Amino acid sequence: MAVRKKNASNRAFIISAYVFCAFLTVLSLLPFIIMIVNATRSTYQIQQHAISLVPSHFLKSNFEVLKDKGSFNAFKGFKNSLIISVGATACTIYFSTMTAFALVAYDWKLRKPFFTFIMAVLMIPAQVTSIGFYQFMYKIHMTNNFLPLILPAIAAPTCVFFMRQYMIPSLPMEILQSARIDGAGEFRIFNQIALPMMKPAMATQAIFSFVSSWNQLFLPSILITKNEKFTMPMMVALLNGDIYKTEYGSVYLGLFLTVLPLLVVYFLLSKYIIAGVALGGVKG
Amino acid sequence: MPNKQHKGISYAKYGYLFSLPFIVAFLIFSLYPTIYTLILGFTDCKGLGNTDWHILEHPFDNFKNVIHNKSFVISLKNTITIWLMNFFPQITIALLLTAWFTSRSNEIKGKGFFKVVFYMPNIITAATVAVLFKAIFAYPIGPVNDLLLSSGVKDTAYNFLVSKSAAKLIVAFIQFWTWYGNTMIVLISGVLGISPDIYEAAEIDGANGVQTFFKITIPNLKTVLLYTLVTSLVGGLNMYDIPKVFLDGGPDNATLTTSVYIQKQAFSGSYLYNKASAASMIMWVIIVICSAVLFWIMRDKDEAKLNKEIKLAQKKAKLIAESGGKEWL
Amino acid sequence: MKKVLSVLSAVALLASMTACGSTSEGSEASSSSNTESSAADSSADECSESSKADTGSSEGKTTLNIWSFTEEVPGMVQKYIDTHPDFAAKYDIETTVIPTTDQNYQPALDQALAAGGKEAPDLYCAEAAFVLKYTQGDASSYACPYKDLGIDVDAETSAAEIAPYTIDIGTNTNGDLVGLGYQATGGAFIYRRSIAEEVFGDDSPETVADAIGGGSNSWDKFFEAAETLKGKGYGIVSGDGDIWHAVENSSDKGWIVDGSLTIDPKREAFLDLSKQLKDNDYHNDTQDWQEGWFADMKGEGGKGILGFFGPAWLINYTIAPNCGGEAVGEGTYGDWGVCEPPIGFFWGGTWVLANKDSEHKDALGEIIRWITLDTSEDGLQYQWANGTYADGGTKDAVASSAVMAKSNGELDFLGGQNMFDIFQKANAYANGKNLTQYDESINALWRDQVRQYTAGAKSRDEAIEDFKMNVADTLDVNVD
Repeated sequence: MAVRKKNASNRAFIISAYVFCAFLTVLSLLPFIIMIVNATRSTYQIQQHAISLVPSHFLKSNFEVLKDKGSFNAFKGFKNSLIISVGATACTIYFSTMTAFALVAYDWKLRKPFFTFIMAVLMIPAQVTSIGFYQFMYKIHMTNNFLPLILPAIAAPTCVFFMRQYMIPSLPMEILQSARIDGAGEFRIFNQIALPMMKPAMATQAIFSFVSSWNQLFLPSILITKNEKFTMPMMVALLNGDIYKTEYGSVYLGLFLTVLPLLVVYFLLSKYIIAGVALGGVKG
Repeated sequence: MPNKQHKGISYAKYGYLFSLPFIVAFLIFSLYPTIYTLILGFTDCKGLGNTDWHILEHPFDNFKNVIHNKSFVISLKNTITIWLMNFFPQITIALLLTAWFTSRSNEIKGKGFFKVVFYMPNIITAATVAVLFKAIFAYPIGPVNDLLLSSGVKDTAYNFLVSKSAAKLIVAFIQFWTWYGNTMIVLISGVLGISPDIYEAAEIDGANGVQTFFKITIPNLKTVLLYTLVTSLVGGLNMYDIPKVFLDGGPDNATLTTSVYIQKQAFSGSYLYNKASAASMIMWVIIVICSAVLFWIMRDKDEAKLNKEIKLAQKKAKLIAESGGKEWL
Repeated sequence: MKKVLSVLSAVALLASMTACGSTSEGSEASSSSNTESSAADSSADECSESSKADTGSSEGKTTLNIWSFTEEVPGMVQKYIDTHPDFAAKYDIETTVIPTTDQNYQPALDQALAAGGKEAPDLYCAEAAFVLKYTQGDASSYACPYKDLGIDVDAETSAAEIAPYTIDIGTNTNGDLVGLGYQATGGAFIYRRSIAEEVFGDDSPETVADAIGGGSNSWDKFFEAAETLKGKGYGIVSGDGDIWHAVENSSDKGWIVDGSLTIDPKREAFLDLSKQLKDNDYHNDTQDWQEGWFADMKGEGGKGILGFFGPAWLINYTIAPNCGGEAVGEGTYGDWGVCEPPIGFFWGGTWVLANKDSEHKDALGEIIRWITLDTSEDGLQYQWANGTYADGGTKDAVASSAVMAKSNGELDFLGGQNMFDIFQKANAYANGKNLTQYDESINALWRDQVRQYTAGAKSRDEAIEDFKMNVADTLDVNVD
C-alpha cells in the first residue's frame, strides 16, 4: 500500500515537474525563435507585426542589406569581440580564483580588511564610476585600444566573491598541507590542486563573464571610434541606429549572428555545469 | 625552533602575493574612477566639460538635495518594490530547480537540457529584451492585446505601457525571467562543490530527497547562498539596464530605479555630475548596510567554520613544521 | 578544463599582445591589416574607406575626422571626395559612426571634442533632438562659425533660400551661423485621398487644407473636421503623438525662459487636445513607431485614418514602405496627398558642424558648402531632392527652397502630386526659435504626463504639478 502511494505521488511530482520545466523552456526559447523568425522577415512585415512565429522569405535580402552596409563586417566584429571577451574572461577567471585563494588559503593581517574592501567596491553603483573611467582613458589616450576593455577584468570583485564563497566549503586545507609535505610550491599548489577543484565554479563564472563582456555596449561605444575595431554589438547598434530608415529584418539577423557565438561558448562550457558530480579531484 | 616563526611569515606573504594582480589592476583602472565618484558628490561639478569645480562650502548640500528630491524617493521605493517582486520568485524557483536537478532520488530525464535552456534568456542583451517586450505588449494592436480581445477576456485593448502597475510588473517579470537561470546555475555549481561522500553517507542512512536537500544541501550551500543573496541584493538595488531601455523609467516614473535616476542626473541634459555622484554614494551606503545585515544573518557557520579550519591548518602546519621543517623548503 | 583554460589564457595573451602592438606601432600595423582586408572584400565601403585613410596618410594626405550618428553624412563626404579629384588628392576621411539609439553618441562626441588632439572630430553632425546643445548650448563653444570656413553666410544662405528655421537653430548665441542641414524637415499633413474624397467631396490639397484649417494657426477647424470624419466612421489621426510636433512648434516660447521652466499656453493645451482626441474617439489611440501606428498607414487599424503629420522623410521611409504595396493600386500606394497643416512645424533633421580647433578649415568649408549651400545640379541638395544621390534613392525635401523650386517633386505614391509645392511653404512655416537644449528630456517628461492625464490616471493639475516636479528633479532649471 504504502509503496504504491509513494509511487503515485512520485509520478504526480514527476509530471508536474515536467510541465513546469516545459513551460519555462518555452519562455526561454521564445525570444530566440522570434529573433530567428524575424531575421527572415522584411522590415515592413516586422513593423506591422513585430512578433511572429511564421518565417518569411526575406532572409537573403536581409543578408544582402548586411553585406551592403559597409560598417557591418561580421568577421571583423567577431574577431574583435572575441579578443575582448576571451581576454577579459581569462583575466577574470584566473586572477579572481587567485585572489580568492589568497583570501581563503592564507592567514594574513590584511585579509579581512581586503575582503571588506572588495565587497565595498562591488557595491558602488556603476553609472558615475564609468564616467570617471572613460574620462580617464581619454586623458591617457587609451582610446581605440582593447586593453581598457580587457585588463580591468583582472580586478573583478563579484567573481572574487563567488570564488571565495565557493572555495570555503570545498577546498580542504588538508590537501594543501599534504601537497606541501610533498614539497609542492605555493604556485604549483594553486595551479595544480586548487584550480582543478574549482572547475564548476570557474565554468559558471566564465559563462557570466564572457556573456557580459560580449554584450557590453556602452564603454566600447565610447572608447572605440575606429570602424575596424568595432565589436559585434556595436555593429548591430549601428544598424539599429539608422533612425530614419531602420532595416529591422537585418537588425534581427545581426542580433542573431551576435548571439550565435555566445550560444556556442555557452554550450561548450555548460558541459561542466551539467556533469553530475564533478569533484573527482577532491580526493587527490 | 628558529625556522618556525620564519614559516608563518612566509605564508602570509603568499596571501599578499596572490592578491597583487587584483590590487594592481584596481589601482591602475579603478582607483581614479572610484575616487572620482567619491569626491564629486561634495563638489559643484556640473555641466559639460567642466574642469573648474570646487568642494562646496557646505559639503553635504548635494546629499541633502538628493534626499529631499521627490523623484529620488520615488526611485528608491520603485527599486525596492521591483527588486522584491522579482527576487522572491527568482530565488524560490532557482532553489526548487536546483533541488530537482541535483536530486539523486528523483531522476528527471533531460535535466541537462533544462539546465542549459533556462539560462539562455540571460545571454540576450537588455536592449533586445526591451524591444521584444515592448512589441509583445504593444497597444492598441499587439500580440497580448490581440489575445485578450480574441479570447474575450477584455472588450477593449489595454494599454499596458501606460499603466504604472503593469509596467512595474512587466519589469519585475523581465528581471525574474533573465536572472533565475543565472541564479540556478550558481546554486547548482555550489551543490557540485559539495563532497559526494556526504551524500553517500546520507543515502546509507536512508534519507529521502527532501531530507537530503534540507539537511545536507542547504547547510553546505550556505556560503554560495550568501553570494547569491548579496549579489542579487547589489544587482537589484543597482538595477539599471531593463528599466532604462524598456520604458526609460516611465510611465510616470513607475519604473524609475535609483540607477536610472542617477544616469538621468548625469546625462539627461544638465550634466549634474555632483548630484549623480551624491545619489550614488547614498545608494552605496544603503547597499552596504543591507549587505552587512545579510552577512551578519548568515555569519555564524560561514566565518566560524573558516576560522576554525584555518586554525586547524595552522596547528597542523605547526606540528608538521616542528616535526620535519626541512621538507618545507 | 585545463585544456580550455590554457587555450583561453593563450588567446588572451595573444589578444593583449595584438592590442598592445597596434597601439604602440600606431597606424602602421592597422593600415597593413586593413589593406589586406579591403583587398579581400572591396564591397565593404566602410573598411575600405578607413584603409584608404590609413594608406593615404602614408602618401601625405590629410585625414579629416568625420563624426556622425548614421552613415549618411560620412557617405556624402566620401561622395564629394569621389567626385572631386582635386580634393581627393589632398584629403581623405576617417569616419566614426555611433548611433543615438543607445544614447552613446553624445557622451562619446563630447569626450572626443573635449580631449582634442589629432583624433578629435573635424566635422560632426547633430540631430534635431540635441542639436541645440551643440549650436547654442553647453557644447556650442566647440562649433566653428561658418564665416571662418570661408563661407559668405548671408549672401549664400539667401541665394539658396535656406529654410529659416534651420538657420535659427544653427545660429549660436553670438549670432554666428555654425550649423546647417541639407534635408528639410518642415512638416505637412499627409492624407488619404480616398477618405478625403468620401468625406470632403474632393481629394485636392486645397480642399483638405481648407477642411482641416491648413495655415490657420489654430486647431479649431481641425477638430470640426475630426467630428465630420467621425460621423463617417473615420479617425483624423492615428494617435495624439501625431499632432505633438505641430503643437510643440506652435508655441511662442520654448520650455525655458531665462533659466526658468515655462509652460507655453499652446503647449499646455496639448493636454486638452490629446484628451479631446481620446474622449471623442477621433483617433485609434496608437503610439508613434508601434504596431498600431504602422497598421494605420496600411489602412488596417481599428478604423480608417485621414492622415499623418510629417515631413517628406516620413513619406519616403515610413509611410511608403508600410502602405502594403509598391505600385499604384496595391495597398494604400498612390492614395496619399500632402497639404498644408493647421500649424507649421518641423520634425527631425541633421545639422553639420565644424570643429573650431580643426586645422583644415578650408577643406571643411568646401565640403559644408557642397552639402548645405550649393544649389547647382552638381550640389548635394539637387541630387538629394531629385532622388539621384544614390541608386534607388527617393525624392526628398531639402533645406534650399531654390533647389526645390527647380526640382521635380512628383511622386506616384502621392498620386502624382508635386510635394515640393507644399514642402517649400512648410519650410518657411516651421519655427526654429522656440527650442532649448533640454527639449529632448523635457518633451519626454511632458508627453509622459500627458499620457497619464489622457488615460485618466490623474487630473490635469496633477499632471502639470508632476511634470514640474520631474523637470526640477532631473534638470538644472528653476521651477516655481
